[in-house]
Amino acid sequence: MTDHAWAGDPMIHTPIRVTVIGGYLGAGKTTLVNHVLRSADERIAVIVNDFGDVNIDAELIESTDGGTISLTNGCICCSVVDGFTVALDTIRASSPRPERLVIEASGVAIPAQVAAYAFGPGLELDGVVTVVDAETIRRNARSEYVGDVIAQQNTATDLVVLNKVDLVDHGAMASLMAWLTEVTDAPLIPARDGRVDLSVLLGLDAADRTSATTMPTATSFASWTERWLEPIDRTSFEQQIAALPDAVVRAKGVVRFTDDPLTESIVQVVGRRVSITAGGRWTRERSELVVISLDPDGDAKTPG
Amino acid sequence: MPTNTIYPARRIITMNPAFPFAEAVAVREGRVVGVGTVEELERFGDHVVDDRFADKVILPGFIEAHSHVMTGGLWQFPYVGYFDRADPDGKVWSGSRTIDEVVEHLVEIESEMDDPTEPMIAWGLDPIYMPDERLVARHLDQVSQERPIFVFHASGHLATVNSAMMRRCEINEQTPTPGVMKNDAGRPNGELQEPAAMALATIALGKLMAAIGSDQAKWGYANDARNTGQTLVADLGTTPIQLDEQIAAWEAVVDDPSYPARVLLAGSPMFGGEQDPATLAAVAISRRDANEHDKLRFGIIKLVLDGSIQGFTARIGWPFYFDPPAGSPENGLWLLPPDAVADIVTTHHAAGLTVHCHCNGDQAAQVFIDAVETALERHPRWNHRHTVQHSQLTTTAQYRKMAALGMCANIFSNHIFHWGDQHRDITVGPERAARMNACATALREGVSISIHSDSPITPMGHLHTAWCAVNRRTASGEVLGPDERISVMEALTAITIGAAYQLNLDHEMGSIESGKLADFAILDDDPLVVDPLQLKDIGVWGTMVGGVAHQAAPRS
Repeated sequence: MTDHAWAGDPMIHTPIRVTVIGGYLGAGKTTLVNHVLRSADERIAVIVNDFGDVNIDAELIESTDGGTISLTNGCICCSVVDGFTVALDTIRASSPRPERLVIEASGVAIPAQVAAYAFGPGLELDGVVTVVDAETIRRNARSEYVGDVIAQQNTATDLVVLNKVDLVDHGAMASLMAWLTEVTDAPLIPARDGRVDLSVLLGLDAADRTSATTMPTATSFASWTERWLEPIDRTSFEQQIAALPDAVVRAKGVVRFTDDPLTESIVQVVGRRVSITAGGRWTRERSELVVISLDPDGDAKTPG
Repeated sequence: MPTNTIYPARRIITMNPAFPFAEAVAVREGRVVGVGTVEELERFGDHVVDDRFADKVILPGFIEAHSHVMTGGLWQFPYVGYFDRADPDGKVWSGSRTIDEVVEHLVEIESEMDDPTEPMIAWGLDPIYMPDERLVARHLDQVSQERPIFVFHASGHLATVNSAMMRRCEINEQTPTPGVMKNDAGRPNGELQEPAAMALATIALGKLMAAIGSDQAKWGYANDARNTGQTLVADLGTTPIQLDEQIAAWEAVVDDPSYPARVLLAGSPMFGGEQDPATLAAVAISRRDANEHDKLRFGIIKLVLDGSIQGFTARIGWPFYFDPPAGSPENGLWLLPPDAVADIVTTHHAAGLTVHCHCNGDQAAQVFIDAVETALERHPRWNHRHTVQHSQLTTTAQYRKMAALGMCANIFSNHIFHWGDQHRDITVGPERAARMNACATALREGVSISIHSDSPITPMGHLHTAWCAVNRRTASGEVLGPDERISVMEALTAITIGAAYQLNLDHEMGSIESGKLADFAILDDDPLVVDPLQLKDIGVWGTMVGGVAHQAAPRS
């Protein structure tokens, strides 16, 4: 294997950033994946359990080859029928190589176990997203059969998409949010019909996207940029990241540390997950970190 | 008119309760003309008398309703399991009881390999029997510093590799994949846990998968069956039946008159199978109805609901596991969402198929039983024979409901011997271990049963499996749950007509009767006469499949 690039080796390939989407049966994972495929305007690969559930518009399909569907917008969709290893090999070998991969876990998978694949060669975990059905989550969480599974899905995740919020009234919603805050540390992103801004879900650069593909979402976000002109002390930077408000769902940027000033340090924050990896040689004027936060007022600017 | 061949025997145990024993059986065109005395059978017309089984005991061919063709694939590699085990060629591989013995075994095999770059694969390692020390790369490096080595554990969830394999596959300090176990210094110790980590050992997995899909695997599977008396083996869901080339490969192999078994291929969404239930059902029906091969059978759907008890991944009822390892989750894993099972079962049920569902834990069994009830409410259908597979912790109440719904069980009796001590001491505790694999309860409550090996998980061989159900002896020699023991006759029923019934084959096989297929297990001794503790030691001459005799490979 010549493309054996562990995270952060820019000499060969930028690793493919992997988002794992989990959540119990009926939560809306597939709807979310469909939303990703329709809204994407960069080449995204997805691995799904079953093509049958992914309702891809016929005019979007460019070609179908066994376990792989190619879409006209450049996205590719692989089924997991022959196992993750085969699907991942297909995606790594596809040309041009996608920069993003979304894996739809099965409804009873512990997403963290699926995420283990995202540590394979040429891949890098962006984050785990659990989709929750606002209507049924509390009933399912009490189930003798799946209560423990749902608890694990809610705990071992970086973001929670609280889907179908339009089906729950205000009083129930407040109580649900209070309960979810107890069971998970991850930021909660309310959504309808699985529509979540891709800059939040996958960390896509909002500026790269046309407004035409941005569908209305149930939540608004605030976004700002932190800048540092001088190299930063790594420890103090890590402390600043840790001190970001709970409403921060994502941050990404390129930073120059005093202990490694010749290198770009790539920072990715997804919910509570922080990764800092070495990038290429430092050529920028300053360190920058774009932060996206749930907007408590609901009327502030939305990325994209 | 073709000639009848009359085979006199020491005794024929027909498993037909209306005519249980006979002196001889007459065979023509692959079928049983009749049983009786030689004189009676001579009156059927032209005949020859073939005396070669005159001192043998003939039973209906044993039917293994839960096994995997993977058996034949794994035997292309050296075995390093704990118990002695015979390969399809009859060679007995002595068990490796300690890590030192594993290493010695591999050193010996390595010395006979030519190309030093060729990876070495071994299988069957069961660390549950080596509690003091775990096999790691350091041990395997004693076998070879250059040759990549991959030791596949019996559970199928773990592998141990040597340093050469790690170098070749670039598994090192920087490897971030969870499941790549590391020592205190941060270096991988060679243990790869779960599929994502095992997948890093690409050169080994490729070789393993190629072996499992080969024709040699298909032959090894049937030879293994023949050596211990099986005439039909159900490959439960490891062949993707929607793929024409896979079916063509099977057809070509079983067509050979010397291929010594019938094979039933159950359709499944697992292992590369079709995912969509309606499409899978349509494929299974068309395979069944268009099939022209007497030795290749279809019509069964295999589903998997949970994991294994010894892996703490079975879904078991409250209060869950007895003394699991620290940090284990409270309960096991679902492989299908419980809320999806009723719809999936209904699809296959309505199509007229029989669903065999892997349920090791009682919670999994409950979900499947309830799904069958829902399917029956939606779509009343008699004689469906849906079967709980493994059924290791199924409770008495569940068996009562299964009886009411017309369901069967295929019980994993081999577990009593292979892991019974661990179930009593670690996984489920003494009380539940005593009622695990509850053959007596199932029969008492009116459920038709079979028993199985799940080969390669435990060795195929129905006399051994029957011995487990009859005696319930663990590896340490203790009787585990004496009240769940069944009689030898009940066990023989389970491995013949009981298995045929749940595979919808009982009109053709499972007993020796006029008109049925001439499929026999040919034994050196009489299972109804020997001490039940000797059941597993009865010699097997071989089998007859459709009137063609297949002699077992001599043990060596």
